[in-house]
Amino acid sequence: MEPSKAEALSPTVGIAVIALAAGALPLVTRDSYYLDVATTILMNLTLTMSFRLQVSTGQINMAHISFMGIGAYASALLVTRLGWSFWATLWIGALVAALLAVPIGSVALRVSGPYYFLITFAFSEVVRLFFNNFFEGLFGGPSGLVGIPKPGRLLGLTFDGKLALYWLMAVLCVIVVVTLVRLDYSRFGLTAGAIRQADLVVETLGVNVFRFKLTTFVLGSFVAGLAGVFFAHYRQVLHSSDFGLEPMVLLVVFTVIGGTGSVWGPVVGTILMTIASELLRELHHYEILVFGAVLILTMLFAPEGLVALPGAARRLLRRLRGRAAEPAGVGLAP
Amino acid sequence: MLLELSSVSRRFGGLLAVADLSMTVEPGTIHGLIGPNGAGKSTVFNLITGVIPLTAGEILFKRARISGLRPSEICRRGVARTFQATALFREYTVLQNVLIGAHLLAAPGLAPALFRSRSYRERERQARGRGRALLESLGLGAVASQVAGQLPHRDQKALALAMALATGAELVILDEPLAGLTAQERAETTGVLRRLREQGTTVLLVEHDMKAVMGVCDTVTVLDHGVRIAGGTPREIQTNPAVIEAYLGVEEPGA
Amino acid sequence: MSIELLVQALLNGFGLAMVYVLVALGLTLIFSILEIINFAHGEFYMLGGYVTYYAYALFGLNYFATLVLAILTVGLAGVVAERLIFHDLRGRALNAFIVSLGLLWVMQASAQLAFGVLDKPVPSAFSGVVRLGGLVISVERLVVSLSAIVLIVALYLFLRLSRPGRAMRAVAQDPEAAALQGVNIDAVSALGFGVGCALAGGAGGLLAPVFAVSPAMGALPVVKAFIIIIVGGMGSLPGAVLGGLLLGGVEGLGALFMGSAAVNILGFVMVIVVLLVRPRGLVGGA
Repeated sequence: MEPSKAEALSPTVGIAVIALAAGALPLVTRDSYYLDVATTILMNLTLTMSFRLQVSTGQINMAHISFMGIGAYASALLVTRLGWSFWATLWIGALVAALLAVPIGSVALRVSGPYYFLITFAFSEVVRLFFNNFFEGLFGGPSGLVGIPKPGRLLGLTFDGKLALYWLMAVLCVIVVVTLVRLDYSRFGLTAGAIRQADLVVETLGVNVFRFKLTTFVLGSFVAGLAGVFFAHYRQVLHSSDFGLEPMVLLVVFTVIGGTGSVWGPVVGTILMTIASELLRELHHYEILVFGAVLILTMLFAPEGLVALPGAARRLLRRLRGRAAEPAGVGLAP
Repeated sequence: MLLELSSVSRRFGGLLAVADLSMTVEPGTIHGLIGPNGAGKSTVFNLITGVIPLTAGEILFKRARISGLRPSEICRRGVARTFQATALFREYTVLQNVLIGAHLLAAPGLAPALFRSRSYRERERQARGRGRALLESLGLGAVASQVAGQLPHRDQKALALAMALATGAELVILDEPLAGLTAQERAETTGVLRRLREQGTTVLLVEHDMKAVMGVCDTVTVLDHGVRIAGGTPREIQTNPAVIEAYLGVEEPGA
Repeated sequence: MSIELLVQALLNGFGLAMVYVLVALGLTLIFSILEIINFAHGEFYMLGGYVTYYAYALFGLNYFATLVLAILTVGLAGVVAERLIFHDLRGRALNAFIVSLGLLWVMQASAQLAFGVLDKPVPSAFSGVVRLGGLVISVERLVVSLSAIVLIVALYLFLRLSRPGRAMRAVAQDPEAAALQGVNIDAVSALGFGVGCALAGGAGGLLAPVFAVSPAMGALPVVKAFIIIIVGGMGSLPGAVLGGLLLGGVEGLGALFMGSAAVNILGFVMVIVVLLVRPRGLVGGA
């Protein structure tokens, strides 16, 4: 892993590109619709990046969205019932999600592979059904929880408008991206990938694999909770279906299409797929049809995800160039 | 006594894979564990390294009980291993593989990786240094940037050994380190083992190559059907009637 | 709370359990042969429902003949899907998940476009009730359950006795060993996928008169199927039957004590408990 100069640059470059793009958007458009889409992209990005953190260790955590919901409901209730400030509940909601992630993760990590996938899926349904059917007075039951206020003032700034909320999400997202990218390009990320490839070997080399996986589970859940709090005060309405199978599946799709092998995969996947689904929205029924076809084709022809395409293209070009140079009698190093 | 197994047993359903095994390994020696196929040798390794739990008995390392601990904790105490089917991180480069092995030397955990403190960077530098030195000493210096999954068999085995050594372990447990190697490669590897012994590392190995075992091991334990049937120096083992009977009819792999 | 009430509740719960077991068996068959989880499984169930609607409700074909038609048509669709999409994904669970999701959406949307979104009622082939002491069982549910049992037994015999069936079991146990013995893995995969989908199609045909037919009808049965195979054990036929009975019983009894909406949570709690105590499932081991 001796990073060449170019490789050592790329995390900084990547982060800079994202931060600049996020910062430049309001200069290009103030249109309410575009800001909304952009805010959604940034929110989805925090979710897919944190999901990918767990996937990098081999965990497909289908309850990821549930922790978004836990953060959302925690903050919504603390603000509406106890009058607390959003600026406190932002972190408290995420903390609640992280704290609940400890027992849930500890239980789920007792099994592995497809069983882990299934048990987290079962957990997510339990959580969703819990928010939907129990304690209607608190969570709103099947009609949902309404009347969640926008964030209050902070340092004299108001957060009533779409633009201010966009900036808030942008700052949160960049913080999350920086954190997760730094982790990925460190020993932590190296260990995660090793665990995915051969977790028993990593364990016998001195790494407590359970604790490591649990750490990614809890950290990922913290970020999901953070996104959830923002979601609650942005949409101002919560319904259990916001944290069910459909949005979770979309998270998985965004991440896998982008490519789970790289920390940048979710970036590519989330941006492209969110834009694609917005563009396809005009087509109504055809939207889902085309979306489904896109999934099938991408997985068949780009199984490592879109982020791996440039690398594959480069290798293909090199091989073609190599073949073209052969008649000249000069051997090209591959 | 560096490693001591005391009345260790392991039962799989109705089968007693290891039965009341007691053996010791002295520090600074190379100890061989031999026996016909199915004798339970790999099971013993899995028991020592905590991969599977004991049914009875206990295992002590440096006078402290390690049976019942997690494999990662056992490794932290100074025991490392290789696997029979060479287990590597195939998508990573050779250097990256060794760096995982050097985990105990580096600063593990979330906060150091996130905040890149001076101590994190210093320890990463040390880990990289040790990794490169190990690769050089095992003849892998030239392939440090190659992807592990594409290495030839001999290099893969050397890499597995490098990873185990990178942990800084005092006791290295090797599961068939010579399997699949040519005669010359075997000689090279036994040379490496002798160098390890000179440096004070203790080696416990399982091997089928009798010539190599008798040539390099200081002491040998013989298992048959999970039971210890003999132990001692190679010479003593070779003339032990129980050992000869256990191997009767078992074809010795050509040396 | 009389015994009679409890037994009636259990019977109500068991009522359609066997049909869900059919769906579960299809899913578990595909999982054991191809090592992938087919999330579009419910869409093949739905396909069977629509074949039944058009052939039986509209065209007037005999009900049981329609069932056979549904089984064969959906089975064929399954083979096509496997050949076109799934055969390269053996063992690559995450990618297979996304692909089967894409297939689910493609099939859902196509159904919505082709058939319209509204429920299409299918007339019951059987009416009336049977009384046993104080217990009441509808004839329709009885016939449906018995037909499902017949199909399950047929599947069991097929896997045990026929050559393709034994080949499928060999591949499910150890694909490499099976290949070495000359089994054509590609053919077995295609056939296995086809049979798995055929079972779902048959289930759809059986429940079409009970629940009406709509593009989204596959969602609930497939969730139940997942619960059943996790509880019973992935890759186990008797496990699926046991899991189905357990789920039916738990839901039937649960309906006595909590509202029907909340009953759904019980299945998932069962899943969590099983995955913690015995992850391979009650009968699982393969």
